[in-house]
Amino acid sequence: MIDPAWVSGLAAILFIIGLWGAFSRKNAIVVLMCIELMLNAVNLQFVAAANHWGDVTGWVYAIFAIAIAAGEVAIGLAIFLSMYGQHETISLDEVNLLKN
Amino acid sequence: MSESAIIDYAVLIPLLPMLAFPVILFLGKLFNGTPTWVKNAKEGGIIALTVMGASLVLTLLVIKEHMNHVGSANIFTWFESSWWNAETGAITTKVFGVGIHIDHLTVMLLFVAAFLCFMINIFSIGYMNTDSINDNRNHRFYAEFVLFCSGMLGMVLADSFLWLFIFWELMGLCSYLLIGFYWERPSASYAAKKAFLTTRVGDVFLIIGLVMLWNLFDGHLDYAYVFDKANIAAVDSGDLQLALGMMFIGAVGKSAQFPLHVWLPDAMEGPTPVSALIHAATMVNAGLYLVARMFPFFSGAELGSLSTLAIIIACIGGITAVMAALIAFVQMDLKKVLAYSTMSQLAYIFTGLGSALWFANNGYEELAAFAMGASLFHLFNHAMAKGMLFMASGSVIHEMHHAHHDIAHHGDDDHEHDDDNFDAQSMENMGGLASRMPIAATAMFFGSMSIIGIPLIGGFWSKEGIISSAWQVALKEPIFLLPAMLILIGAGMTGFYMSRMWLMTFAGKPKTEVAKNVHEQTAWIPIPLVILTFMTLSAFILAGMHAGNWLGNFETGHYSSFLGGVGSELKHVFLNDDPFLLVLTYIAIGLSLILGPSFAMALYGGSLDKGQKAKPWMQWAINLSDKVNSSSKFDNSAWANSSLAEALHKRLYFDDLYDAAMLKIVVGFANISAIFDTKVIDGVIKTIETTSQEASRRVRSLTTGSARDYIMMAALGTLVIFMLLWGVA
Amino acid sequence: MDIKNKEFMLIGGLLVVVAGLMAFFPSLNDSNSTVDWISIPLVGFPIVISVILLAFASQETRSRKDIIAVPIRLFTLCASLIPLAISTALFFDWLILVDWNLAYNDYALEKEYLWIESIGVSWHVGLDGLSFPMVWLTTFLVPVTIIATWNEKDGATYYPLLLMMGGALIGVFVALDLFLFYIFWELTLIPMFFLILKWGGKDRRYAAQKFFIYTFCASVIMLLGLITLYFLQPEGSGSQYGTVTGRTFDMTVLFSNATAFNMGDNVFLGKDMQNVLFAMLMLGFLVKLPAVPFHTWLPDAHVQAPTGGSMLLAGVMLKMGAYGMLRIPIAIFPDALLYYQDVIMAIGLISLVWGAVVCLGQTNLKKMVAYSSVSHMGVILLGIASMQPIGYAAALFMMFAHGIISPMLFAVCGAFKHHYHSMEIGSMRGMARWSPYLSVYMMFAWMASLGLPLLAGFVAELMVLLAYWPTYGWWILLPGFVLAITAAYYLWSMQRTIFEGGDEGQPPESLNGETPPDITLSENIGMLILAIFTVIFGVFPFIALGMMDQWAVALFEGVFNGGI
Repeated sequence: MIDPAWVSGLAAILFIIGLWGAFSRKNAIVVLMCIELMLNAVNLQFVAAANHWGDVTGWVYAIFAIAIAAGEVAIGLAIFLSMYGQHETISLDEVNLLKN
Repeated sequence: MSESAIIDYAVLIPLLPMLAFPVILFLGKLFNGTPTWVKNAKEGGIIALTVMGASLVLTLLVIKEHMNHVGSANIFTWFESSWWNAETGAITTKVFGVGIHIDHLTVMLLFVAAFLCFMINIFSIGYMNTDSINDNRNHRFYAEFVLFCSGMLGMVLADSFLWLFIFWELMGLCSYLLIGFYWERPSASYAAKKAFLTTRVGDVFLIIGLVMLWNLFDGHLDYAYVFDKANIAAVDSGDLQLALGMMFIGAVGKSAQFPLHVWLPDAMEGPTPVSALIHAATMVNAGLYLVARMFPFFSGAELGSLSTLAIIIACIGGITAVMAALIAFVQMDLKKVLAYSTMSQLAYIFTGLGSALWFANNGYEELAAFAMGASLFHLFNHAMAKGMLFMASGSVIHEMHHAHHDIAHHGDDDHEHDDDNFDAQSMENMGGLASRMPIAATAMFFGSMSIIGIPLIGGFWSKEGIISSAWQVALKEPIFLLPAMLILIGAGMTGFYMSRMWLMTFAGKPKTEVAKNVHEQTAWIPIPLVILTFMTLSAFILAGMHAGNWLGNFETGHYSSFLGGVGSELKHVFLNDDPFLLVLTYIAIGLSLILGPSFAMALYGGSLDKGQKAKPWMQWAINLSDKVNSSSKFDNSAWANSSLAEALHKRLYFDDLYDAAMLKIVVGFANISAIFDTKVIDGVIKTIETTSQEASRRVRSLTTGSARDYIMMAALGTLVIFMLLWGVA
Repeated sequence: MDIKNKEFMLIGGLLVVVAGLMAFFPSLNDSNSTVDWISIPLVGFPIVISVILLAFASQETRSRKDIIAVPIRLFTLCASLIPLAISTALFFDWLILVDWNLAYNDYALEKEYLWIESIGVSWHVGLDGLSFPMVWLTTFLVPVTIIATWNEKDGATYYPLLLMMGGALIGVFVALDLFLFYIFWELTLIPMFFLILKWGGKDRRYAAQKFFIYTFCASVIMLLGLITLYFLQPEGSGSQYGTVTGRTFDMTVLFSNATAFNMGDNVFLGKDMQNVLFAMLMLGFLVKLPAVPFHTWLPDAHVQAPTGGSMLLAGVMLKMGAYGMLRIPIAIFPDALLYYQDVIMAIGLISLVWGAVVCLGQTNLKKMVAYSSVSHMGVILLGIASMQPIGYAAALFMMFAHGIISPMLFAVCGAFKHHYHSMEIGSMRGMARWSPYLSVYMMFAWMASLGLPLLAGFVAELMVLLAYWPTYGWWILLPGFVLAITAAYYLWSMQRTIFEGGDEGQPPESLNGETPPDITLSENIGMLILAIFTVIFGVFPFIALGMMDQWAVALFEGVFNGGI
């Protein structure tokens, strides 16, 4: 099939894109999307490796990761919703209650 | 009664008054102001009198039993503690016990204390309860009074130096309380504090001396062990001298000798019975008692090893004698003259004791016994006479107050305190009272003569003994010339200032209206005065009974019968075999009988005013003083205005010096230390606190609150962990 | 439930408990059984009851204040009397079977329950001549403190906190396991912290924090020392040893091992290590004592603390430090003690002198008394440095006597503050005119504290001096000098408050013209009890000293003979 190296490379690129996005974007929803991107990149890597070595562990990890990602997004969106309710903004720069 | 029986009851002598203390306080608080309490119980005075009477009776019984043999009894073990020997690992138990020891010294002081406590108690009932300033607080006076008495009685009965010290401190406490009896007056409160602190300084040295003694004598302070000749011989005499020297400093403080004498004149702030009891008759004798107790050390230690201490004791005595006499020259306050007189006479006794101790340490047993006997006999005479003098002066002041009251306020009882500044204690306001107050005048007349040492009366018998002893030491030890000379001069000085006191108060014309209207009217007061007058006059009976001899010799002193003794005493005094002593005696007599009083008469003598006549035994003296005064041309104004007189008025600046030292140096240092403690020592802590707060603030600034920064930190952190886990290439 | 019923319920419940205990006592004299479980009610009872009461007290609101606070106060008092009854009964060994003739490392009423087996921690408690006087003192002081501060404090949680404090303190004294000891040591900080924080003066926050953090840091260093000791000790096996680590926290085992090792010329754990560990342990105790220069937490804590807090703090908590010193480092590291003997003496002397001198410069009455505590604790160090049984017994007796006298001092200060709203010496004159009782107690307490004979403090000071001279000679002039300075500051403060004032007296401005009152009945009773016991132990010191001397002798026989 496809050379697993290419899939790993794709996963790596996707991960870096997600990481860079998480660092540099202001919009909370966008940061959440980037985190999702990172998670999916890791899932891709898991699947590729599982396929390559024929080990079912990788598939299991991938399914767990999807489930956890779903939960995490739900909580994240809930937090951003209440943040918007409190501060009328979802810009990460403006909400700095934990300062000092 | 068998011996063990009476000595078993001896513990009651100090115990009864001590138990009466809370009783009087409690009852006084309960019944304060009620008529029965005030009139019948005299606000506790009767309770005190009963207790003191019981103690006196017990004392007499004890004395009767122990006139010529030592007695001791152990009461109980106070506590035990252990000593560890580092080399051998042995642990020995040291016992601190409570017990009673009775010998000649105890007997004499016990009698003085119990008798005078009783007499002064009678006096107080008359004095305190008739002065409205004391209303409703006399119970406090009587309670503190009996506590003090128990302290004194306990001290002389104690069988160890430890308990001597404990009762010593108890007396110090009562002295503080009683001097500060009129606590609302700043001067009284100040005087009480001064007394306590000055004696406390002495007590510090006393306690150090006791600690040294305890360690020298293998953990013992009880007389039975410590006076044993074998034990004394086993101790290093240099160390022993140091220990005894420390203890002597304590005695200096308590007996108001130079340089710890500053508290005694101020202590006159207390009511007169307090002055009589504590500062004349008993507490100040505590120091003397302590030094007298040291006698076995001196006789048992190595020959000549403790001489330095004996010389120091005598020198302090000599210096104080003259210094106090000088200051007494310029005093106008009646009680202050007596205070300085006390200081001076106690100094005499110290000199006598110093001579006795020197003799004892240098092997002259008989001379030591003689000197000791003379000193202790003088203690007895002085206590009796001085107590009486203070009581009489109290009577005078009391009546002056009353007279002033009558005149200034026309007998209006509502005024508690006199608004005008009439000083009822100043001799400048007195004069001519010999006819108006015969009992007080007589008492003071004979009391003064006893103190001066007029032949055949009271103190004479003992004073000449002291002077001759001192000079006999001086013959052997040249340094002793200093105290010997000083006390000889002091004899004349005593003659002067005591006569001055008596003449200013009782002879001449009354200097104020108040003095004209004085008359003796208070009940209770004359009783002790009369009794003590007889005691003073009958001192020659005791002298005749060789009391001195008996007092001086602990082991084998004996007393002879009256008639036989008197003759030999008289001969011994006036017709002594030794020419040196003979000359000395007559010089002393000349100074004290003729020189001193003559100057006093020249300056202050004078007949009574018209129509007044004193009792015959005094009238001749008044007449004589009048003659001397009118015929003398002695003018002392040059002396009176000199800088010496000014210094004397300021008590030779010692008080000012001590006050300044305390305030500027000690308190100043304390204030600086307090600031140092808060700023510097605590400052270190505060610096730690501020530094850590600052550091925390800085680190906290890393938390920017921005989510993006946190994501960055998380990612970086994860990266670092991965690098560490898999090793950085 | 109806309001009145709750009150009666509480008191009724209490009476049942008391009756039950009373019924117990006769059976305690059965010679077949020993009452070694007695330490559990001694420790546990106060703590448990206080926790329950605190739970009740937390229900307090403004409107229900009287209903909750008054019965809780009463209940706490009765609850505190029970440990007092127990410990007093223990003293009279004909009442409860106790054998007080104890050799070194031998304890009465010992009880051991294995707790954390893996590391060798057990609930090991027992009493001996060192700890029993302290236990009795604590059980005595808690009810007296409650009585003396009866009217002063609002709030229901105040009294249970005092009780909890007492329980924790007893725990410190009976603990025979290092772990347990440390737990109780830290536990005592908590109620005191809250006492200062909630009922203190103006700067209470600062003072409470300072107190907590300062002493806590020092005890952390002590903990470090303890743990190092734990790991350095040779491994062993037995019921008290940890199954995993092979070592034990048990004090008795450590003592016997160390003493056995130290015999002859050997030094347990090596000379250098021993010196270091000794210093670390001592640091924790010195800060608690407090010794100069680690004393600065005490004045602030005392000035800001409420009266009851001060009474317990000065009365017992400070003695914890001295107790720790006497118990742990000396038995395990006697050679280090010898090595540091002069240092300990110097620290003691400095504390003694510095405390007294600074006292003289104080204008705040309570601060003055706090510094006088510092000064008196220095005497304990002098006793320890003297290396004589008489010195050790003296140190212990000083702990005991000071533990009775200084609560009285602080009760006087508290009454002063309470009635005159001012703590400044010199803010008034002639207090004796309006408050004769307070003046008498003040004078009595002041005289007791400066070491007047026939009151409790004198014998201790005398014994220390007696032990001091052969070892240190003319340095004795400094403690002597302190005796005079102590008298000076006490008398001066009396002159400026109680006395003078002329015919009218001079009330402080803080009263704003109200009539100055005298002390309340409860304050009077509290101070009276303390005064009576001061006199009792002053006139009959042997009541306490017998046990103390026996302990000191046993210590010397066990540890120092051959051990150094």
